[in-house]
Parts: sequence; C-alpha cells; structure tokens
Amino acid sequence: MSQRQSYAVGTGLFIVLGFAALGYLATQTTSVANSSRGPSYTVEAHFANIGQLKERAPVKVAGVRIGQVQSIVLDPGKETADVKLAIDKRYDQIPDDSIATIFTSGLLGDQYVGVRYGTSKKTLADGGELALTRPAQQLEEMLGKFFGAGGVADNLGGSYVVKARFTNVGALSVGAPVKMAGVAIGSVQSINADPVKLDALVTLAIDKRYNQIPDDSAAAVFTSGLIGTQYVAIQPGGSPDALKNGDEMVLTQSAMQIEDLIGKFLVSGSSSGKPADGGKTDGGKH
Amino acid sequence: MSVASSENIVVRSLSQIGDCGLFLLRMLAAIPRSMRHYRETIRQLWFVGAMSLIIIMVCGLFVGMVLGLQLYDVLSIFGGTSATGTVVAIAIYRELGPVVTALLFAGRAGTSVTAEIGLMRATDQIAAMEMMAVDPIAYVAVPRFLAGVIAMPLLTCVFCALGIFGGHLVGVTWLGIDNGTFWSNMTATVEVVKDVVNGVIWKSVVFGIVVSLIAVFQGYTTPPTSEGVAYATTRTVVASSIAILALDFVLTAFLM
Amino acid sequence: MTDSISAKPEDSALVRVRGLTTVLNGKKVFDALDIDIPRGKITAIMGPSGTGKTTLLKHITGQMRGDAGEVWVDGHNVAELSRDKLFELRERIGYLFQNSALLTDFDVFENVAFPLRQHTELPEVLIRNIVLTKLQAVGLRGAAGLMPTELSGGMARRVALARAIVFDPMLILYDEPFVGLDPIALNQVLKLIRTLNQTLGITSVLVAHELEAIKQVADHIYLIANGKVVAQGDPKTIANDGSPWTRQFFGGEADGPVPFQYPAGDLGVSLGFPGKNA
Repeated sequence: MSQRQSYAVGTGLFIVLGFAALGYLATQTTSVANSSRGPSYTVEAHFANIGQLKERAPVKVAGVRIGQVQSIVLDPGKETADVKLAIDKRYDQIPDDSIATIFTSGLLGDQYVGVRYGTSKKTLADGGELALTRPAQQLEEMLGKFFGAGGVADNLGGSYVVKARFTNVGALSVGAPVKMAGVAIGSVQSINADPVKLDALVTLAIDKRYNQIPDDSAAAVFTSGLIGTQYVAIQPGGSPDALKNGDEMVLTQSAMQIEDLIGKFLVSGSSSGKPADGGKTDGGKH
Repeated sequence: MSVASSENIVVRSLSQIGDCGLFLLRMLAAIPRSMRHYRETIRQLWFVGAMSLIIIMVCGLFVGMVLGLQLYDVLSIFGGTSATGTVVAIAIYRELGPVVTALLFAGRAGTSVTAEIGLMRATDQIAAMEMMAVDPIAYVAVPRFLAGVIAMPLLTCVFCALGIFGGHLVGVTWLGIDNGTFWSNMTATVEVVKDVVNGVIWKSVVFGIVVSLIAVFQGYTTPPTSEGVAYATTRTVVASSIAILALDFVLTAFLM
Repeated sequence: MTDSISAKPEDSALVRVRGLTTVLNGKKVFDALDIDIPRGKITAIMGPSGTGKTTLLKHITGQMRGDAGEVWVDGHNVAELSRDKLFELRERIGYLFQNSALLTDFDVFENVAFPLRQHTELPEVLIRNIVLTKLQAVGLRGAAGLMPTELSGGMARRVALARAIVFDPMLILYDEPFVGLDPIALNQVLKLIRTLNQTLGITSVLVAHELEAIKQVADHIYLIANGKVVAQGDPKTIANDGSPWTRQFFGGEADGPVPFQYPAGDLGVSLGFPGKNA
C-alpha cells in the first residue's frame, strides 16, 4: 500500500506543478498581468474607425494605463463604432472635453486608446461620453526602417532616484533603460499618472557611478527603433551642481507618437520638421 | 500492381482509423466502469505524466533558449529586440509548446504505453484479466488513455513555462534585453484566451486525446508477438506525429 | 456456493459441449464436437498440436463463440449469457495460462490479491490472510515479495495457480500446465492439481501433451483430432482401444493419421519432372 501511496503523492505533485505552470502562464505572462481589477467606471466614445482595436485593450493617458476597452459594437444605424471604456475609479478627474485617439504601440504592437486631456472644468462621470475622437490610422503601410537598437543596463553598485514629469510617456514601460550619450545608466522605476497635474510622473533609478549629472539636464522619451521600446535619454546641462537622490528634473521632453511623427514627415515632406520636437541633441547617435 | 497496393494502403489506413474510432467509443463507454480503478489511473498518471517531466522540462528550456537566440538575431535587424519576449511567448504558446510536447509525449510515453499493452497481450495478461472477470478495456486501456489526456495539458504548461524561462535566460541574462521591457512587452501582447486557452489548453487537450488513443489502440490491437509489438511502437510514433501536425493545422485554422 | 446459482445441480456434467462447430480463418477447428466434463473429476484433453485444444478452453470461458452448437457450463449456455452474467460465471472459473500471465506491474502478493481487490471490498487484513493461505497452498508464501520477472517458470505457474484458486472456483482450466518445466517443477504442479481436485473437489480440465503426467492424474481422457473426438476413456484403457489415432498419439509414431508430410502436391512435379505423372 505504501507503494500505491507514493504514486498518489508523486502524481499529486505532478498535477499541482502542472496547474502552477498554467497559473503562471495565464496570469504573469499575459495581458491579465496588466488588467486592473479595481473598481472602474464606464465612459463611451464613438470612432469612425477602430482599426485593430480589441476588447480589453488598454486606455492610456500620457502613456500611463488608466483602464481598458470594455466593449466594441457598431452604433445602430450608423457607420461608427461605439467603444465603451472602463476607467479606473482613481482616475476620476478626466475633463469632459478630452480627446480619445486610437494609437498603435510600436509597429507590431496592439492598438490602444489614448486620451488627451482637455481644459474643461467638468470631469467625466460614469456613463459619460468622450465626444471628441480621432480614429485609428493605418500605420503599417507607411513605415520603413528607423533608428538603431538599444544597449545594456546594469545595476551594479546601487542606484539613486530622480523624478521627471512628462506630458506624455508614450509606450515607455517600467524597467525601460535610462541612457546618456546612448549608454544605459539606469532604468525606469515607476510611472504614474498624476491625478491633479494631469501628467506622467516617472521615477528613474540611476546607477550610483553616474553621480555627476548636472541638475539642469533634460530628460526625453525616445524610441529605440520603430518597433522598439522607448527609453529615457538624459541630455546633460551645464550646471555645476549634480543631481541628487530624490531630485526632480525640470526640463523634460515627452514621447512623440509615431503617428504624429509620420504625419509631420508626410505633411512637411522634409526632415526640417523633425528638430521642432527632436530637441537639441541628436537622438540617433547610437 | 502499384495502383492496387496503394489502394490497399488507403483502404487499410481508413479501416485503421475506423477501428480506432470504434475503440475510442468502447473506451468512452467503459469510463464509468473504470471509475472503480481510479487508483490505476493515478498510477498511470505517474508513469506517463510525472515520468515525462524531466524530458519535457529540459526540452522546453532549450526550445525557449534557442528561440530567444534566433529571435534576438533576427529582430535586431529591425531594431526590435525588445519584442523578443513577446515573440518567444507567442511562438511557444501557440505552436511549439503544444506541438513539441505532444511529439515528445508520443515518443516518451506513447511508445511505452503501446509496448506495455502489446506485451501484456503477448503474455496473455489481457486474457488473464478477462478470465478474472476484469474488463481489460476498463482496467488497462481507459486508465492509460485518461492519464494521457490529463497529463498532456499539464506537461504542455510546464513546457511553456520553462520555454519562457529559457527565452528570458538568453534574452535578458545573456543578450541583455532589458528585463522590464521583456516582460511588459510580453504582457502587453499575449492574451489569455487567444494564446493560453486556445493555444496551450485546447491544442494540448486534443493532442492528449489523439496521442493517447493511438498509443493505447496500437498496443491493444497489435498481433501478440515480439514483432507485432515492435511494429506497433513504430506505428504509434509515426501515426501520432502525423496526426499531431495535421490536427495542429486544423486547430490553428479553427481557433485563430 | 455453486448450488444457489446452478440451474441443474443434479447434472453430473459441469461442462457440456454439444455439436460445437468453429471455423477460424477458413479452417474448420471443430466439427460438431461433443464433450462432457464430469463434476469433481480431472478430465484431460489431448491431441496433436493445432487441434484447437486452447480454443476449446476459450469456448468454455466465453472468450470465443462457436459458429454452431452449444457450450453449457453449470447449466448456463455460455453464448447466451450477458456480459455481466458471463463475468459472474468467470469469477467461478480458474484459468491457468500456458505462460502464467502474471501481471508484470505487481509483485507476487499483489498478483494473487488482484482478483480480490477487483471484485471485493474486503479489509486489507482479510485479503492478506487469503492471499498468504493460497500462496502457502502452492508453497510460495516466502516468495510473496518477489516480482514476476524474478520467478522461475515453475514458480510463476504456481503463483498463477494460487491466483486462479483465490476465489475457490468450481472449475479450473489448465492450459498446457507442464510445458517447459523441469521434472521437479512438473511433479510439483502435478501434485497441486491432484491436491486441489481431491481436497477441494474442484473440477479440473487439463490440456496437455505429457502422456506420462496425465496418466498419473486424469480420470478421463479425450483425444481430439480433426475437430472431432477420436478416442476417449480412462488412462488405462484409452491407449489400447485399437484406433490408429491412439496408436500413433500414445505410441509416439512419426507418421500415421497425422501425416508426417504437410499436404503438398506430387514431389516429382515440384522438382520439375512433369513426365512422370503424365
């Protein structure tokens, strides 16, 4: 009988291991890991074209996830899509004249709804409607190659923390590298939407070895390659004082949406439009 | 002559498939009766499932690692190495996980089930059970079949988890893709229903049914000689492999 | 135990085969075969190889069905029994396979305990007692912990016998119980067959070739050839009934009614001398 029991125990362990693996796959490696489970309220938006937008796609403000797409149906009798967005309760200060746009996160990425805040004093309530929308753009056909690849971030020797505010972090994600002159010097520690100032508060963990960064340096969100992820580039300033732990970087430059960029290319027909947003340093040096 | 013999092969294959289907019905009918032999099912689950873990884990790890390596190489051309985690996960969940696990399972557990049942026939153990008023379908065939059907999805999940780990090992630890990028891109793109449920679960359940059915059927119907058993194990691998890859295509077409 | 189920307890024959005709692969194995197996006796069934002796046992246990004729076991027509009734009947029949057919997954103890575990919910203590008693009866109580692969042929057959009698059956069918045994093991098995029959009154059917061994235990012998009973009687008289079959079989002659030559055409034709026959 002990032989039988040992089979039963071993088999039980095997089954537990299998289900543990399944649980891991389902919750840690899929969009479930991102989906917020907190209380939410529903907002409606009508789009002329939703492109590849799917249910449960993220809704972002300044690049930070604030909710997800709840349902997509065709408006009865109209040629527009009725998209319901479930927004987290804690982000309840969205102006009711905000603009909802369908963006693509990277070339291969899925589409998401980006919300750009308006100026109205009134905020959206449950069941409200985002009246201003911009439909999805069909990107894929327009694109070619872009910049080079990223580098390696290593965290030997500890790090210190610096804050930066961006009006839009684009597809920047936690853990993305922080680079100076193309070399990784740290990583993004956290990204949060500021419910009051309505921008993205990004915390950067910078390696202790690089403790001589001038405190008037600028932080910019760049994209490493078209398909690639975004990273934070630090452009050193001229101040004699160095950034210290907990400091906030004053000069920031937000992520450019690929749509905006391409729109500029297409409209201006020359690269002269690029420096307008591209800033003072050459982002494509690496 | 060749026409006649090829017709023969078609007819024989068809009749084999027919017999196989009838055998499945017999087993399904015997499932209630085999419930009293649940201990035997547990024991078989140990043999076909737990004993296959090592090979599944090692292979999963290496498949994930080689995927990480290859994808990094290709994606770096487009400056998209940050998508490595996403593509590793999708490739493993949708195709490599269920298919490679099923092929390994057919080779590791399927053949041993076929050989075991074939030898039980050759040594009259099956007949002895009939004589002891024990239904061999309920006692021999069904527990092994059920064990295979249960084990396959679990093994596939383990394979996938190890594959992701292997991809992470190569991509992040070795080639230096950023850790946060690796995971956030993966979680942004991989979906539970489309990738995990449709890819990992459904496919592996279907493969589990097919591979176990073929293995048990071949063992049960083989001529009770050493030659017959040898042929039956070969046929299990060949038939399972073809069935897995063909069904993979069909399932992909339906589940996409 | 048998009385409550038995339909005709007064019937002296436990197994009654009437007009059994079986065709296998186009070959007529049995041609209107009639056989009676008397209760409480040891009946031997002999015959040249390939005469379907094992097939006959399979008919008795309902593993095979004849094309015509009937097989009655303890008052039941085997062919008409439902699956459950057939299994019920089989629980009362012990069957000793030619190659013992022990379950290779289990040790000796579990092999003997197998039918008990499958058909009863007896407490472990009781199962243990029954199994050890049966193993003691075949002289292998000490081997309870061995695996079937560790047993010699004779020991394996004795374990199989212990398993066959674990339910105290009314009938035991021995399929070639002496094949491949050395003289010592053969005599041990022989002794067991006789003991089981005498002490428990178990009806026994013995399929075998070993004339000397059978003469020692059998009460009645059937000689089957070409699908028919060609001779029968007790061991002392059967060899002298004068038929060519018995003379060849018991005398061990190479040629006779069972031809030395497998049926073939004229040798001269096969060798390419057509003229000789023309």
